[in-house]
Amino acid sequence: MTAPTRNSIAMKYSAFLALAISSLAITGSAGAGVSVWFVADGKPVSVTRSGTTVERVVQQLLAGPTAAERSRGVRSAVPRATPLRSVRVSRRVATVDLGARFAAGRDERSLQDRAGQLVRTLRSVPGIVGVRVLVDGGVPVGLFPGYDFRGPVTAAIEPVEHQPTIHDYQQRLVDLGFMAPSGLTGTVDDQTSTAVLGFQKWANLPRDGVLGAGTMAALLRATRPEPLLRKPGRRIEVQLRRQLALLIDDNKVVRAVHISSGAYGKTPTGSFRVYRKERYSWSVPFKVWLPWASYFTGGVAFHEFGSVPTYAASHGCVRVNHYDAEMLFGFAETGTPVDVFDEAAL
Amino acid sequence: MTLHSAVRALAGGLGIVAGLVGCAGVAAAVLVALGLPAESRAEDPPPAPAPVVQPRPTELVVALGLGDPVLQAGAVRDGEVVVARGLEVDLARELARRLSIPRVRFVYVRPGSRLLAATVRPWAVTIAAIRPTKAVASVADLSNPYLGTDQAVVLRRDLPPLSSLGDLRRKVTCALRGSDGARVVAGLPAPAARPLLVPSNDRLLELVQTGTCDAAVVSADGVGRLVAGKGGLLGPVSARIEYGGGYVVAVTRGGPVAVADVNRALGQLRADGTMHRLARRWLGIDPSHLRPLR
Repeated sequence: MTAPTRNSIAMKYSAFLALAISSLAITGSAGAGVSVWFVADGKPVSVTRSGTTVERVVQQLLAGPTAAERSRGVRSAVPRATPLRSVRVSRRVATVDLGARFAAGRDERSLQDRAGQLVRTLRSVPGIVGVRVLVDGGVPVGLFPGYDFRGPVTAAIEPVEHQPTIHDYQQRLVDLGFMAPSGLTGTVDDQTSTAVLGFQKWANLPRDGVLGAGTMAALLRATRPEPLLRKPGRRIEVQLRRQLALLIDDNKVVRAVHISSGAYGKTPTGSFRVYRKERYSWSVPFKVWLPWASYFTGGVAFHEFGSVPTYAASHGCVRVNHYDAEMLFGFAETGTPVDVFDEAAL
Repeated sequence: MTLHSAVRALAGGLGIVAGLVGCAGVAAAVLVALGLPAESRAEDPPPAPAPVVQPRPTELVVALGLGDPVLQAGAVRDGEVVVARGLEVDLARELARRLSIPRVRFVYVRPGSRLLAATVRPWAVTIAAIRPTKAVASVADLSNPYLGTDQAVVLRRDLPPLSSLGDLRRKVTCALRGSDGARVVAGLPAPAARPLLVPSNDRLLELVQTGTCDAAVVSADGVGRLVAGKGGLLGPVSARIEYGGGYVVAVTRGGPVAVADVNRALGQLRADGTMHRLARRWLGIDPSHLRPLR
């Protein structure tokens, strides 16, 4: 026998073997220990069921999770008592015909989840490469968002869980008014930490300037800070308890700025107006240059300072962080009203 | 009575009948000569036809395009929609009820362009988010709109409701790039701030949530679904900007249903609150119940 002949026989043999294996799948034998897919916390989870036929696997899916599984938070998006009309397997494609109840409800997420459960479960059966779903014998069109069952579906839709990036959180800080767009760097830097401090003060979170899990979660559900006083025009509110300055235009907070006011109540409360502005101001009593100084009462001014701690630490002025000082100086034109108060006293 | 006598009696009876028929013929001839009513004369025009009464259809055949889980979706077997759901499906059923048609049958027409372009339409009406363009009006009778295509305004939290378009002009507005909403905000005269146009609905809602945008302008029929689940992070859907038009029912010309009847039925559905109920059920809100901004 020549080599080509031997190869030919081997090819025929392997083709026969492949046919035999595929016909096992076609008969719908699911083998031992198959995965049936449900949902937990909005994500697909599989549980193991004992070996059975493809039809039995579908029945187990329709039966839903066991009491023990339910106690662990496992749920099924498939409506209870959904009738199974038929199951057949042809050319490794399982066609499952279910009653109209399978398409019941208006929750698009649930409709997508139940189709996903069915596809995942059947794709877990060895030999099944595609899934067709019929509802009352008809091909679903638009019933299960994201699925086109006009042909065999080979994969379930993976739940899109967008993990926000550092840039996303920075964007949120910008959107909420705690940071200038120049802070959109994609990395956690000093400007981001400063903005985070401002947000933490507003949201009554621990003031550590760290973009941790708690702060991230709070950022995602945060809305823009609201002024505590209602007055028209451009003005500044200094909230002493929060240690935050709100720059407001017609009752909309334009920016929220991390500040540090006078220790031991040295910053006077009341309604004032910006009356003097100096790009660099020399502090006579403390012999130091104060950049971006906007005086609003006596010798008390907003000004940039190197150290802006999370608490009231100054001699009476309102220290403004490096990233916001120039912007605040520009906002606080001469005559701009400034309200300084302890929020708890309102 | 013998057989013979019976035969004679029968012959005598027939003679009487023949005599009577002869007399009647003579009498008829005399009457014609004397002048009978005009309508029975041979030379007069034929009698006017009685008005044709269309038999009330026992089935309303509705063509659907399917594919929208909110407006219309279903399961199709051999061109028939065996499972149908959605606002427009419920609307078709309600229309049939108002038209006293006991049964509704849905047929699936694919591709959607065939819904109106088909030369032979074995269906009475087409309901498929059809906008009343001239091209559409040339091939079918179009009903009054059953669902508006106006725009809705979603405000950021803590803002008071708008009372006029002038109020909107003073806000930072935003819309989905390329949408009807974008055209509306672009058309606002002398806005206080440049409108923000964004690429996705997610970003649009973020801007409203964070207050970067004061008022998002979005399609009124989709706004309910858009803001669902956003809880207290957004302000209310507070107003509607009339954008004109709406979705209409295309009635097949020469079919069993007249567009006037469809319009009457739609009027009833609006008047008795059925349309409001359907809109709330499928869209989350009824756009027509939003206060129009002018």
